[in-house]
Amino acid sequence: MTKAFSSGPSVRPESVTPEPGIYFAEHCSSGPLLTLFRYRELLRQLVIREVKLRYKRSVLGFAWTVLNPLFAMAIFTMVFSRIFGDRPNYPLYVITALLGWNLFSLGTSRGLDSVVINGPIIRKVFVPKAIFPVASVASQVVNFVFSLVPLFLFMVAIGVGFGRSLLWLPIPLLSLACFALGIALLLGTFNVFFRDVKYFYEAGVLAWFYATPIFYPPEIIPDTFKFLLYVNPMYALLESLRTPLYQGTAPRLDLLFLGLGISLFTLLLGWAVFHRFEGRFIHYV
Amino acid sequence: MSRSGKLGQASRLLHLPGVDQVTHDHASTRSSDRPVLEIRDLSIRLLLHRERTTSIREYAIRVLKRRRVERDQFWPLREVSFEVNRGERLGIIGPNGAGKSTLLKVIAGIIPPSVGRVVVRGRIAPLIELGAGFDPYLTGRENVFLYGSLLGFPQKELERRFDRIVTFAELEEFIDVPLMNYSVGMSARLGFAIATTVEPDLLLLDELFSVGDAGFQKKCEQRMESFKVKGVTILLVSHDMNLIRQTCSRTVFLQHGRIVAIGPTDEVVAGYERFSASSPPGQRTRP
Repeated sequence: MTKAFSSGPSVRPESVTPEPGIYFAEHCSSGPLLTLFRYRELLRQLVIREVKLRYKRSVLGFAWTVLNPLFAMAIFTMVFSRIFGDRPNYPLYVITALLGWNLFSLGTSRGLDSVVINGPIIRKVFVPKAIFPVASVASQVVNFVFSLVPLFLFMVAIGVGFGRSLLWLPIPLLSLACFALGIALLLGTFNVFFRDVKYFYEAGVLAWFYATPIFYPPEIIPDTFKFLLYVNPMYALLESLRTPLYQGTAPRLDLLFLGLGISLFTLLLGWAVFHRFEGRFIHYV
Repeated sequence: MSRSGKLGQASRLLHLPGVDQVTHDHASTRSSDRPVLEIRDLSIRLLLHRERTTSIREYAIRVLKRRRVERDQFWPLREVSFEVNRGERLGIIGPNGAGKSTLLKVIAGIIPPSVGRVVVRGRIAPLIELGAGFDPYLTGRENVFLYGSLLGFPQKELERRFDRIVTFAELEEFIDVPLMNYSVGMSARLGFAIATTVEPDLLLLDELFSVGDAGFQKKCEQRMESFKVKGVTILLVSHDMNLIRQTCSRTVFLQHGRIVAIGPTDEVVAGYERFSASSPPGQRTRP
């Protein structure tokens, strides 16, 4: 069986040579992106489920989404305020980037595992498989947006106003979500075949956290390692996210566009790899 | 294979180009009098020896040994072709491991074909495993929308039919209780009620599931009967030859993934019964 059935799926069942592929009603045979769009209702349900169920049976419930980063912020402030204390509003400096980091790290680590976790569904019903990583990242975006409310309250409480610079926020937020989704799709694909990926990533993401200026300012990095900032997309993404909130000014445009570019590239790459291999997932989940 | 990279070599399903595009659509094309289902030269290929390479260490070991472990092909389905016309009821019979359930899963879009093509015109209701995707922590109400959207129903449709679904499943009192507090029968009833609430173009049935008590089974049978009357196309996998005789006009006899016989139910079932009687159970299944 080495003869290659090279031509892609045709939508015309009358064509003479049988081609491989599965075809549903010929006039509505659709690409994977369109299929995903058709299942947007399921996406909504999955996001609702993830946001709802995360803190089920906990007394504080949804408040944990907010409390978690607040505790982390408190700890970082206690530990590092001596060192970085000269920075005005150090707690705000930490939490603005930390919220973005949480979106990324939770979105990717859940997203990359989501196909495997939802294996029982994939084995029993047809479903566009990319919907699971998309839902994981989307739920983190929802969480992020929810935690903006207490963040704004916090900003008012410590006397930092916020103004028009907030209008920049959607761009770094969207970039961050695209980047997280790209990584989740890419690693999620490998994770189906090699479950080690998840464990490697868990270790890697911790190193990544410390390599990114989140609780420390980028200036303290020695000049010899400064280049690391520019190979680390999370620096550009988190700085662009932090500046409008923390400094109340527009983000640096070079970082903003660098982040956006890398994010879109990662997303396309992740999508391409995922789509290339998703047909085989059924035999591995 | 030309396209297999490192992961490709690890794959136990030999991957052929153009296969990975699985599209699925629920739009109905009732006006068409073309067959609801067309299957042409369908084959599914698995590579058995690479079955469980799920860690990089195992994979490395296999790569090192690969000269010895050559691909051991296995075809759960081999060159299957048939058509099913609108309103027809087709039975699928055969010994265990013949590929019956695999065939339903390919039609449902769950397993992509390795070779060949499957055309489905219209909306499928795959009653293969009811309630796949139910979340035990969510309430019955929330699960109606989760499972419904998993089956491709629009939100509005589900809202409109919500009361009917709940009434049919006889779960009015428990609909706001988490599913983990449901009995098996209650979950199954809810699953059946959701999956069959909209009349499909093609109904896939794997065995006759016994859902709930005698009273509810009666309701299920009535619903199936109304589908029959309305001309819903049905594919029924079963070991119950009486059920096949009652339900299906035409039957496929599968063995080792191939079609042994296809034709009028009486003849095919008679042939299958002779075959079953002549071969002891031990020899019927594959190693």
